[in-house]
Amino acid sequence: MSEMKPSDVAAAEDSSEEQDWNAAKTFFDSLKSNKPRPPKPRFAVSIAVSSRTLFNMVAERKIYEEEGVEKYVAFQVEHENEPLKPGPAFPFVKALMNVNSRLRELYPDSEELFDIVLMTNNHAQVGVRLINSINHYDLTIERFCMTGGKSPIGYLEAYMTNLYLSKDSDKVTEAIEAGIAAATVFMPEKESELSDTQLRVAFDGDAVLFSDESEIIVKQHGLDTFFEHEKHFENQPLAQGPLKCFLEALGKLQRKFYSKNERLNCPIRTFLVTARSAASSGARVLKTLRSWGLEIDEALFLAGAPKGPLLQKIQPHIFFDDQMFHIEGAKDLGTIAAHVPYGIGQKYHKGKLIEQPAKKE
Amino acid sequence: SKDSDHAVVVAVASRAVFEPGAGGGDGVYAEGVAFPLLQALQKVNERLLEENSAESLLFDIVLITTDSQQQQQSSQLISSTKHYGLEVSRFCFSTEEDFSESLLKNNVQLFLSTDRNEVSQTSQKGVLSALLDEYTASCPSEQLRVLLCGDAVIRPDTNPTPASRQAAQSFSARLGKMRQRFGMSDSPLSITLMTSCGGRDSCGGALQTLRSLGISADEAYCLAGAPQGPILSVLRPHFLLSDGFSGLED
Repeated sequence: MSEMKPSDVAAAEDSSEEQDWNAAKTFFDSLKSNKPRPPKPRFAVSIAVSSRTLFNMVAERKIYEEEGVEKYVAFQVEHENEPLKPGPAFPFVKALMNVNSRLRELYPDSEELFDIVLMTNNHAQVGVRLINSINHYDLTIERFCMTGGKSPIGYLEAYMTNLYLSKDSDKVTEAIEAGIAAATVFMPEKESELSDTQLRVAFDGDAVLFSDESEIIVKQHGLDTFFEHEKHFENQPLAQGPLKCFLEALGKLQRKFYSKNERLNCPIRTFLVTARSAASSGARVLKTLRSWGLEIDEALFLAGAPKGPLLQKIQPHIFFDDQMFHIEGAKDLGTIAAHVPYGIGQKYHKGKLIEQPAKKE
Repeated sequence: SKDSDHAVVVAVASRAVFEPGAGGGDGVYAEGVAFPLLQALQKVNERLLEENSAESLLFDIVLITTDSQQQQQSSQLISSTKHYGLEVSRFCFSTEEDFSESLLKNNVQLFLSTDRNEVSQTSQKGVLSALLDEYTASCPSEQLRVLLCGDAVIRPDTNPTPASRQAAQSFSARLGKMRQRFGMSDSPLSITLMTSCGGRDSCGGALQTLRSLGISADEAYCLAGAPQGPILSVLRPHFLLSDGFSGLED
């Protein structure tokens, strides 16, 4: 799973890294603009977003699929002075920027901030339109990788990425297999009013924050066995899931507000939205979080009830779940949902085992 | 066939192509770090000729050496070249004093070597030069990957002179022209832009500068102070050119 960044590195690596950093710092300071300098990657919480999650490129994507890459790039270049419309991760990015402003107010010299990186396998010529669009909305995105068709996974690792959001489930799966927290973001069916003063992130429990060990029991042995099992192992922490480290990174930033007496006014709020029920299987989840030293602001146990209506009330900037069934329910009611393709849930749909076609070679 | 008016002359130090001294057996030298690079240059030529058998904008590869040992064994140099199937059009044997003049006389547009001092000297004499290192050996041989640095910080010890900037721009423009012979995907040549210091406007500006030189970059990376090492090890360019692409200079 995504590890917190190591603080001990070989001296040789350190000095060239310092050189690169100092050169950039000098450059940014010389600009004498109001633009905030991007944080040092080693200390920042790096969020990589793809171009299609940041911007709405549905029409352009259609051209790519129907007419090929050359026509697609030509179209983008022709329209490069027309800013793209916001995509599903746009509100999330704005909320991250707001947290950064608050952090900079309280800790003007700290590098512990969100660092938003555009990670796209678009061609560099499409990049001009992307840069123009970022300028149009004045987003604080100063780092990007435009890989011209190559896989972004190596670059995600090079940037010490804490979370990767994409529309391409293959890339997301590859990232998770490489130990990077990642999710496939879906555009909701309708718009909703999201907070512009507080970043709100909702997580499913099993196979997202926690491993899928308990979910395996449900799928293979049924609910009753699951309840017995969870009660029996109540005091044994669950293993970690792909998004545990991202929750940890959020918690670290939250504590920076708490230590400045800003708990009530904290611009980050986290939610656990789980199908578990409080009475029978909830205790293990809460004890696991406690054993990890992690806090979650609100834990909502649905005991199997649909998640959509509750999420509508919470209005998170993003909701992570491993099961497409819940993702669909969420987006139908206007929640920005992100699928985490991890664990046994991928082989099932609504409780039934999916018939897998023979894998093509 | 390579029309000398249009060929892009690339000189590679023989010590980079073949391991100095070490014998590969049968009187043939062992492969050096520049091997995949040479193969990639050849691949570009092959594909250019596939597109147009009368193509004259091709790489013209010259092996140059001041190494007295290798000069004495010039026949071994030539036979090693043949042994590995390398398409070298000329062999230049020069002394250290005449080295840069030799390059200029041979109309060399790009000089590649593993020797930092050599590269620094030729660069100062106005020959576009790039340093090869051990990472070059691990680059792919199926695609030539060239990295253009949008803000000249990759080699902070060299001062770009107007002459070297001009040389970089004209070489890159020829490269850009070569690149246009191929489509977006499956190109044997890939041009990458990287800005290491500045933010998105630096990179955006550099992309526009490249366009004005007739260069359509395939990939672009804007680091804004993030460490270059990890990114370069994923990028794996065969060599990098660092002068004359900033959108913000002059």
